[in-house]
Amino acid sequence: MAFADDLLRDAHHLAARGGKNPKQSSLRRAVSTAYYALFHLLISDFVLNWKRPDQRVRLGRMFDHSKMKQAKFQGSKLTAVEADLEKVVAAFGHLQDDRHTADYDFGWYWSPSDVKNSLDMAGEAFVAWRAIRKEKIAQDHLLTMFGARRT
Amino acid sequence: MYLPSAALANKLRIDQAVAEVARQMAPDVAYIRYEIGWDWSGDPAIYFRVVLSDAAADKRLREAATQVVRRLDERLDFQSMGLYPYHHFRSVSEQADLREEAWA
Repeated sequence: MAFADDLLRDAHHLAARGGKNPKQSSLRRAVSTAYYALFHLLISDFVLNWKRPDQRVRLGRMFDHSKMKQAKFQGSKLTAVEADLEKVVAAFGHLQDDRHTADYDFGWYWSPSDVKNSLDMAGEAFVAWRAIRKEKIAQDHLLTMFGARRT
Repeated sequence: MYLPSAALANKLRIDQAVAEVARQMAPDVAYIRYEIGWDWSGDPAIYFRVVLSDAAADKRLREAATQVVRRLDERLDFQSMGLYPYHHFRSVSEQADLREEAWA
């Protein structure tokens, strides 16, 4: 199983810890891990395009979280592939926001429902991405997330 | 602490949009609260606190959450207001346990 899948499973495991009385620390780590799961899913697909396997980890480290979020994709009358891409991009933005709240806003109290929403959103993004990952538009978007200008 | 100017300038518009979305999405949405302030990085932000019915939180969480986000986004131009939106959810039962004033 890929690292990204392991992270998403870890997120669910963390969210389930404590049963009906979960600790805020577990819920915060769950939200943060769900974001990183999607982050790694996307960059792992990008670096696969690099011919030399020994350089892929270094390439992956060049991704900038904020640039990735700035790579927007929205439109009207979307095709099925475009709609899936829009879902992935929106989820990435939401999950990054949630990650920041979970990791930096210590006054925020997370409810299990709020955490479940984030984790389910990540799961949906995984499914959507895997449906379109080989499409040109998806690969182009990865390049935009990397920092390249749209042509 | 002073609020971003957008808070005062757009309060009526935001109040109307929030009420409309809550009304349209009842009974899945019990009510929606919002707060304008600054986020963790110091940027002006609006935090929506959406309280869902227990049934919606249990059976239709993603569907209800997605609809709330979409409908608020359709009615409010956050970019022109200079506010970055955050959306958070909890169920009626969770709020009854937590009793957070900001969510009441």
